[in-house]
Amino acid sequence: MASSNMKDIKRRIKSVESTKQITNAMQLVASSKLRKAKEKADSSKPFFNAMYDTMCEIVREDATFTSIYTRKRKANVTLMVVISGDRGLAGGFNANVLKLAQQRYNEIAKDGHEAVVLPIGKKAVEYFEKRNFKIMTRYENIGESISVYGAMSIADKIIDVYNKDKIDKVELFYTDCISPLVQEEKHMALIPVNIETDKTNISLTNYEPSPESVFDSLIPRYIAGVLFGAIVNSFAAEQAARRTAMENATDNANEMISNLSLVYNRARQAAITQEITEIVSGANAQE
Amino acid sequence: MRSYKLKIITPEKIFFDGETEQIIVRTTEGDIGVLAGHENYVSDLPAGPFRVRLDGQLKTAAISGGVLKVSKEATTILAMAAEWADEIDLEWAKRSQADAEKRLKETKSDFEHRLAELKLKRALNRISVSSKN
Repeated sequence: MASSNMKDIKRRIKSVESTKQITNAMQLVASSKLRKAKEKADSSKPFFNAMYDTMCEIVREDATFTSIYTRKRKANVTLMVVISGDRGLAGGFNANVLKLAQQRYNEIAKDGHEAVVLPIGKKAVEYFEKRNFKIMTRYENIGESISVYGAMSIADKIIDVYNKDKIDKVELFYTDCISPLVQEEKHMALIPVNIETDKTNISLTNYEPSPESVFDSLIPRYIAGVLFGAIVNSFAAEQAARRTAMENATDNANEMISNLSLVYNRARQAAITQEITEIVSGANAQE
Repeated sequence: MRSYKLKIITPEKIFFDGETEQIIVRTTEGDIGVLAGHENYVSDLPAGPFRVRLDGQLKTAAISGGVLKVSKEATTILAMAAEWADEIDLEWAKRSQADAEKRLKETKSDFEHRLAELKLKRALNRISVSSKN
């Protein structure tokens, strides 16, 4: 009995060890990808900030400024752009952002409005397809190699639909990679653009051809910039989350192995002791 | 010539951050030059060439659409992409041109047509800037 028990434990140790090898490898891959992705995510921020400032300045300077991209429409149909990862095994990364989107969807549905989804990332596509959401366009496997032009084509598509009055509002759900250890799900309004109009610095600026036309031509670039930033940030956050999850899994595997080894050694000891007892008592009986 | 601060930012990186005496850039209204002390000015930039004077020498780059913003503190160009003339991948630009032309012929919707047109302009701009190098 003891030996079959020992065999079982041995097998379990082996299986945990091979799992550990996988989690360890995934952790290494994630941390090397994270380094690159974080760099990309950080260098997308200056563009967004400068773009946003420029747009706020245009609106601030001209009291009569109006644009179809800042005016609020009656929100009948909301487009939800949801960015998730393409793969699992990243802790709560995918679940958290999808939960945030689902909550917002419930709110919209409760108010009697409609919502359409534009999922980016395999996990988001699967989630919304399974629940029969209305899907506009789906994007998969673009997170790792997204280029500015890729983001621009998504932005152009959104703006085209918005200009045709098929949607009245665009909201974005993504995960911000604040640091390799901290990721946060974010929800932001994309169109109408939320402009801060604290009338502090007013400088006379010459806009060519006109403030409105400069603003409207900025919009596709702004949206593309935001989407690009959100996609690269989400990708970095996914790698960070996966690294942490896999680090924990490796630690757990190590703990399990040491516990199992202890049990195995005890069983081995017990088996030896029993054998000795048997031999000794056998010898005693022959005397 | 007096110099002033110039920043060129793309979503992927800060392309240029330094001092210059003069830039010449193509706006939707035509080419304009910016020297130190220029009035506050904002304009839309289509895909076009861009020249900057560094140590007396004019250096050329291709800008793929963006916005030019001149203010007292600094001149900023926010571009979707920017490349120095000698960095342009001519093979890639030519492939992109062929692809855009093919799409222009094939697509029917206005929307796709407009996108293909913009793509073609970007490719042609890169090719022309690269040949001036």
